[in-house]
Amino acid sequence: MILEPCRDVVCSFWSMLDQGPMTLTITLHTLIVLPMVWIYFDEKKRLERGDVPEE
Amino acid sequence: MAKVSVWSSNRFWRRSATWVTGVSAVLLILLTFDSMAQMQMGTAKDIKNKVDKRIPSPVVINYKIEYKMSRKRGHEVPIIGGMSPDGKSLYQVKEKFFGRDDYTEAEARALIHKGKLTIQAKNCMDCHTLLGNGAYYAPDLTKAWLDPTWETLAPAYGGKEYAIATFLQNPPAMAMHERKMPNLGITKDEAKAVVAYLKFMSAIDTNGFPRNFGKIKGAVDAWK
Repeated sequence: MILEPCRDVVCSFWSMLDQGPMTLTITLHTLIVLPMVWIYFDEKKRLERGDVPEE
Repeated sequence: MAKVSVWSSNRFWRRSATWVTGVSAVLLILLTFDSMAQMQMGTAKDIKNKVDKRIPSPVVINYKIEYKMSRKRGHEVPIIGGMSPDGKSLYQVKEKFFGRDDYTEAEARALIHKGKLTIQAKNCMDCHTLLGNGAYYAPDLTKAWLDPTWETLAPAYGGKEYAIATFLQNPPAMAMHERKMPNLGITKDEAKAVVAYLKFMSAIDTNGFPRNFGKIKGAVDAWK
Protein backbone atom coordinates (compact mmCIF):
# COMPACT_ATOMS: atom_id res chain seq x y z
CA MET A 1 0.00 0.00 0.00
CA ILE A 2 1.44 3.35 -1.02
CA LEU A 3 -0.45 5.39 1.56
CA GLU A 4 -0.44 4.22 5.14
CA PRO A 5 -3.66 5.13 6.96
CA CYS A 6 -1.89 6.05 10.21
CA ARG A 7 1.73 6.63 11.13
CA ASP A 8 1.16 8.30 14.49
CA VAL A 9 0.24 7.13 18.00
CA VAL A 10 -3.07 8.95 17.91
CA CYS A 11 -4.50 8.82 14.38
CA SER A 12 -5.83 11.90 12.64
CA PHE A 13 -6.08 13.50 9.22
CA TRP A 14 -2.60 14.98 9.77
CA SER A 15 -1.03 11.65 10.65
CA MET A 16 -2.31 10.36 7.30
CA LEU A 17 -0.57 13.24 5.52
CA ASP A 18 2.65 12.34 7.33
CA GLN A 19 3.83 9.55 5.02
CA GLY A 20 7.45 10.60 5.23
CA PRO A 21 9.58 13.64 5.97
CA MET A 22 8.38 15.58 2.89
CA THR A 23 4.71 14.73 2.33
CA LEU A 24 3.19 17.18 4.80
CA THR A 25 5.48 19.96 3.59
CA ILE A 26 4.71 19.29 -0.08
CA THR A 27 0.95 19.10 0.59
CA LEU A 28 0.84 22.35 2.53
CA HIS A 29 3.03 24.18 0.01
CA THR A 30 0.87 22.94 -2.86
CA LEU A 31 -2.20 24.14 -1.02
CA ILE A 32 -0.66 27.60 -0.65
CA VAL A 33 1.25 27.96 -3.92
CA LEU A 34 -1.31 26.64 -6.45
CA PRO A 35 -3.95 29.31 -5.70
CA MET A 36 -1.15 31.90 -5.93
CA VAL A 37 -0.51 30.76 -9.50
CA TRP A 38 -4.19 31.33 -10.18
CA ILE A 39 -4.00 34.75 -8.49
CA TYR A 40 -1.02 35.60 -10.75
CA PHE A 41 -2.85 34.82 -13.99
CA ASP A 42 -6.04 36.47 -12.75
CA GLU A 43 -4.13 39.68 -12.00
CA LYS A 44 -2.33 39.44 -15.36
CA LYS A 45 -5.67 39.24 -17.17
CA ARG A 46 -7.00 42.25 -15.25
CA LEU A 47 -3.89 44.32 -15.99
CA GLU A 48 -4.06 43.47 -19.70
CA ARG A 49 -7.72 44.51 -19.73
CA GLY A 50 -6.79 47.69 -17.91
CA ASP A 51 -9.39 46.72 -15.30
CA VAL A 52 -7.40 47.91 -12.29
CA PRO A 53 -9.05 50.34 -9.87
CA GLU A 54 -7.11 53.42 -8.75
CA GLU A 55 -5.20 52.84 -5.52
CA MET B 1 -1.76 45.57 -25.90
CA ALA B 2 0.53 47.18 -23.38
CA LYS B 3 3.18 44.99 -21.78
CA VAL B 4 2.23 44.50 -18.15
CA SER B 5 4.19 43.25 -15.16
CA VAL B 6 2.24 41.37 -12.53
CA TRP B 7 5.31 41.27 -10.28
CA SER B 8 5.22 45.02 -9.78
CA SER B 9 1.46 45.05 -9.15
CA ASN B 10 0.47 45.95 -5.61
CA ARG B 11 -2.80 44.06 -5.93
CA PHE B 12 -1.06 40.78 -6.78
CA TRP B 13 1.13 40.92 -3.66
CA ARG B 14 -1.75 42.02 -1.48
CA ARG B 15 -3.97 39.15 -2.64
CA SER B 16 -1.12 36.64 -2.25
CA ALA B 17 -0.30 37.86 1.26
CA THR B 18 -3.96 37.69 2.25
CA TRP B 19 -4.23 34.14 0.94
CA VAL B 20 -1.02 32.90 2.64
CA THR B 21 -1.89 34.54 5.97
CA GLY B 22 -5.45 33.25 5.87
CA VAL B 23 -4.52 29.66 5.00
CA SER B 24 -1.72 29.61 7.59
CA ALA B 25 -4.06 30.91 10.30
CA VAL B 26 -6.66 28.24 9.52
CA LEU B 27 -3.97 25.52 9.43
CA LEU B 28 -2.56 26.61 12.78
CA ILE B 29 -6.02 26.49 14.34
CA LEU B 30 -6.62 22.97 12.94
CA LEU B 31 -3.18 21.80 14.09
CA THR B 32 -3.83 23.20 17.58
CA PHE B 33 -6.92 21.00 17.88
CA ASP B 34 -4.88 18.05 16.60
CA SER B 35 -2.19 18.68 19.23
CA MET B 36 -4.84 18.87 21.95
CA ALA B 37 -6.12 15.43 20.95
CA GLN B 38 -2.55 14.09 20.95
CA MET B 39 -1.83 15.46 24.43
CA GLN B 40 -5.07 14.32 26.07
CA MET B 41 -4.53 11.73 28.80
CA GLY B 42 -5.99 8.30 28.05
CA THR B 43 -8.53 6.56 30.24
CA ALA B 44 -8.82 3.09 31.78
CA LYS B 45 -11.31 2.36 28.99
CA ASP B 46 -8.62 3.09 26.37
CA ILE B 47 -6.32 0.56 28.05
CA LYS B 48 -9.14 -1.98 28.18
CA ASN B 49 -9.84 -1.43 24.47
CA LYS B 50 -6.09 -1.48 23.67
CA VAL B 51 -6.14 2.07 22.31
CA ASP B 52 -2.65 3.62 22.27
CA LYS B 53 -2.34 7.10 23.73
CA ARG B 54 0.77 9.24 24.04
CA ILE B 55 -0.09 9.84 27.68
CA PRO B 56 -1.74 6.66 29.00
CA SER B 57 -4.23 6.43 31.84
CA PRO B 58 -2.74 6.37 35.36
CA VAL B 59 -3.88 2.71 35.62
CA VAL B 60 -0.79 1.98 33.52
CA ILE B 61 0.97 1.50 36.89
CA ASN B 62 -0.74 -1.92 37.04
CA TYR B 63 1.11 -3.07 33.91
CA LYS B 64 4.59 -4.06 32.89
CA ILE B 65 6.29 -1.26 30.95
CA GLU B 66 9.03 -2.01 28.44
CA TYR B 67 10.58 -0.28 25.44
CA LYS B 68 11.19 -1.50 21.94
CA MET B 69 13.04 0.07 19.02
CA SER B 70 10.48 0.90 16.32
CA ARG B 71 12.00 0.88 12.83
CA LYS B 72 8.95 2.63 11.44
CA ARG B 73 9.12 5.55 13.85
CA GLY B 74 12.92 5.55 14.12
CA HIS B 75 13.10 5.52 17.92
CA GLU B 76 12.13 3.54 21.00
CA VAL B 77 8.43 3.22 21.77
CA PRO B 78 6.72 2.14 25.00
CA ILE B 79 5.30 -1.38 25.11
CA ILE B 80 2.69 -1.66 27.85
CA GLY B 81 1.56 -5.02 29.24
CA GLY B 82 3.41 -7.23 26.77
CA MET B 83 3.96 -7.05 23.04
CA SER B 84 1.86 -8.46 20.21
CA PRO B 85 3.63 -10.14 17.24
CA ASP B 86 3.26 -6.93 15.22
CA GLY B 87 5.10 -4.92 17.88
CA LYS B 88 2.16 -3.20 19.59
CA SER B 89 1.20 -2.95 23.27
CA LEU B 90 -1.03 -5.79 24.43
CA TYR B 91 -2.15 -4.24 27.77
CA GLN B 92 -2.32 -7.72 29.30
CA VAL B 93 0.84 -8.51 31.28
CA LYS B 94 0.40 -7.03 34.74
CA GLU B 95 3.11 -6.21 37.25
CA LYS B 96 2.61 -5.87 40.99
CA PHE B 97 3.13 -2.33 42.22
CA PHE B 98 3.58 -2.29 46.01
CA GLY B 99 1.83 -5.66 46.17
CA ARG B 100 -1.15 -4.75 43.98
CA ASP B 101 -1.99 -4.76 40.29
CA ASP B 102 -5.64 -3.72 40.55
CA TYR B 103 -5.44 0.03 41.17
CA THR B 104 -8.61 1.69 39.93
CA GLU B 105 -8.42 4.78 37.77
CA ALA B 106 -9.35 7.01 40.74
CA GLU B 107 -6.79 5.37 43.05
CA ALA B 108 -4.00 5.51 40.47
CA ARG B 109 -4.85 9.11 39.59
CA ALA B 110 -4.80 10.13 43.27
CA LEU B 111 -1.46 8.38 43.72
CA ILE B 112 0.29 10.02 40.79
CA HIS B 113 -1.28 13.36 41.76
CA LYS B 114 0.28 13.06 45.22
CA GLY B 115 3.53 12.08 43.49
CA LYS B 116 3.38 15.19 41.33
CA LEU B 117 2.73 17.41 44.37
CA THR B 118 5.68 15.80 46.20
CA ILE B 119 7.95 16.28 43.18
CA GLN B 120 6.92 19.95 43.10
CA ALA B 121 7.18 20.43 46.88
CA LYS B 122 10.65 18.86 47.06
CA ASN B 123 11.83 20.82 44.01
CA CYS B 124 13.19 17.77 42.16
CA MET B 125 13.70 20.02 39.13
CA ASP B 126 16.35 22.01 41.02
CA CYS B 127 18.72 19.16 40.04
CA HIS B 128 16.82 16.74 37.77
CA THR B 129 14.91 17.11 34.51
CA LEU B 130 11.45 15.63 34.04
CA LEU B 131 10.41 15.25 30.40
CA GLY B 132 13.37 17.49 29.63
CA ASN B 133 12.35 20.33 31.97
CA GLY B 134 14.56 21.27 34.90
CA ALA B 135 18.24 21.43 35.83
CA TYR B 136 21.16 19.45 34.39
CA TYR B 137 22.93 18.51 37.65
CA ALA B 138 21.29 15.11 38.12
CA PRO B 139 19.91 12.54 35.63
CA ASP B 140 16.72 13.00 33.61
CA LEU B 141 13.87 11.19 35.35
CA THR B 142 11.56 10.67 32.34
CA LYS B 143 12.44 6.97 32.07
CA ALA B 144 14.02 6.57 35.54
CA TRP B 145 11.60 3.72 36.28
CA LEU B 146 13.31 1.65 33.54
CA ASP B 147 16.87 2.27 34.76
CA PRO B 148 18.38 -1.25 34.85
CA THR B 149 20.14 -0.36 38.15
CA TRP B 150 16.82 -0.84 39.93
CA GLU B 151 16.44 -4.32 38.46
CA THR B 152 19.74 -5.35 40.05
CA LEU B 153 18.65 -3.93 43.41
CA ALA B 154 15.09 -5.28 43.22
CA PRO B 155 15.70 -8.78 44.69
CA ALA B 156 17.25 -7.36 47.86
CA TYR B 157 14.28 -5.06 48.48
CA GLY B 158 11.44 -7.31 47.37
CA GLY B 159 10.79 -5.43 44.14
CA LYS B 160 11.96 -2.50 42.03
CA GLU B 161 9.35 -0.13 43.48
CA TYR B 162 10.47 -0.90 47.06
CA ALA B 163 14.12 -0.29 46.10
CA ILE B 164 13.31 3.14 44.59
CA ALA B 165 11.05 4.07 47.53
CA THR B 166 13.75 3.09 50.04
CA PHE B 167 16.32 5.14 48.12
CA LEU B 168 14.03 8.19 48.04
CA GLN B 169 13.47 8.14 51.80
CA ASN B 170 17.20 8.37 52.53
CA PRO B 171 19.26 8.81 49.33
CA PRO B 172 22.70 9.34 50.98
CA ALA B 173 22.45 5.86 52.51
CA MET B 174 22.18 4.31 49.02
CA ALA B 175 24.43 6.74 47.13
CA MET B 176 25.37 5.45 43.67
CA HIS B 177 27.25 8.45 42.33
CA GLU B 178 29.71 11.09 43.48
CA ARG B 179 26.96 13.71 43.19
CA LYS B 180 24.98 12.45 46.14
CA MET B 181 21.28 13.20 46.30
CA PRO B 182 20.48 14.87 49.65
CA ASN B 183 17.92 13.58 52.13
CA LEU B 184 14.80 15.63 51.38
CA GLY B 185 12.69 14.19 54.20
CA ILE B 186 10.40 12.27 51.85
CA THR B 187 7.97 10.12 53.86
CA LYS B 188 7.04 6.51 53.07
CA ASP B 189 3.69 7.50 51.54
CA GLU B 190 5.26 10.30 49.52
CA ALA B 191 7.98 7.95 48.26
CA LYS B 192 5.33 5.48 47.09
CA ALA B 193 3.49 8.27 45.28
CA VAL B 194 6.70 9.54 43.65
CA VAL B 195 7.52 6.02 42.41
CA ALA B 196 3.98 5.77 40.98
CA TYR B 197 4.55 9.05 39.18
CA LEU B 198 7.90 7.85 37.82
CA LYS B 199 6.33 4.61 36.58
CA PHE B 200 3.47 6.51 34.94
CA MET B 201 5.88 9.00 33.36
CA SER B 202 8.01 6.20 31.89
CA ALA B 203 4.95 4.99 29.92
CA ILE B 204 4.52 8.34 28.13
CA ASP B 205 5.37 8.15 24.43
CA THR B 206 7.92 10.96 24.16
CA ASN B 207 8.85 10.41 20.48
CA GLY B 208 12.14 8.84 21.55
CA PHE B 209 13.15 11.33 24.25
CA PRO B 210 15.63 11.14 25.94
CA ARG B 211 17.82 10.47 22.93
CA ASN B 212 20.47 8.38 24.71
CA PHE B 213 17.91 6.13 26.39
CA GLY B 214 18.21 3.43 23.71
CA LYS B 215 21.92 3.07 24.43
CA ILE B 216 21.37 2.03 28.05
CA LYS B 217 21.95 -1.70 28.14
CA GLY B 218 18.89 -3.51 29.44
CA ALA B 219 16.51 -0.56 29.12
CA VAL B 220 15.31 -1.28 25.58
CA ASP B 221 14.42 -4.68 24.10
CA ALA B 222 15.17 -6.11 27.54
CA TRP B 223 13.55 -9.45 26.67
CA LYS B 224 16.22 -10.27 24.08
